Amino acid sequence: MAILTRVDDTLTPERAAERLRGLSADVRAAVLLDAAGSLRGASDDDYDDAQALGDLARKLFEEVDRATRDWDTEPPEQVEVQVPGGAVFGSRTPRWTLVAVARRGALSSLMLYDLRAVLGELEGGPQIRRSRSAAERTPGPDTEEHAAEELPMPELGGQ
Amino acid sequence: MKEKRKGPLSRAAGLAEGMAATVRRMQREREPRVLVYDPAGYARLVQPEARGHDRIMEVAEQMLTQVAGRE
Repeated sequence: MAILTRVDDTLTPERAAERLRGLSADVRAAVLLDAAGSLRGASDDDYDDAQALGDLARKLFEEVDRATRDWDTEPPEQVEVQVPGGAVFGSRTPRWTLVAVARRGALSSLMLYDLRAVLGELEGGPQIRRSRSAAERTPGPDTEEHAAEELPMPELGGQ
Repeated sequence: MKEKRKGPLSRAAGLAEGMAATVRRMQREREPRVLVYDPAGYARLVQPEARGHDRIMEVAEQMLTQVAGRE
């Protein structure tokens, strides 16, 4: 039984964008691209819309790389673009690129943290633990360990 | 040296100043801008006059339009 639950909870590329949207109410849409820039997951069910957003996400990082290629720093890992009416946040690893369109007023630090957390989980890091409402909780002893499971923030694994 | 105790008017003025500063900070954070972060998390601003800035803004705006169109 425990093994079945574990397998079911494993984050797959197809579910990563939806997981991000589940973490933050400020995320309006998200897409996941692989290292080749192909769409691997989207929060939206409509294939054409997801594909169009994926193309733009790939273009975004291409433009970021073009703009920063002469800088004497490492290639950017994350990007934040504030535009009238909202914001776009992106984060990447050598294997994955996750980009989210967020509502106006979304907290940058939290958005970037969530993006990195989801990518971390996708790369095999520990699963993000989310707080649950009191109604969902199973009764348990009031131990520190039990309380730690109710942390309101997702955790980054192995970083 | 003892700090001078503030009256109700001074306290209200202090609160108003704090709120105004918060609003200014929130507005500043929402101003159009492009920030990139290196793997250590250090942010760097892509200056508005820098090469590629306008293209990045353009792509981001297209993404927002794309999402707004289906909401």
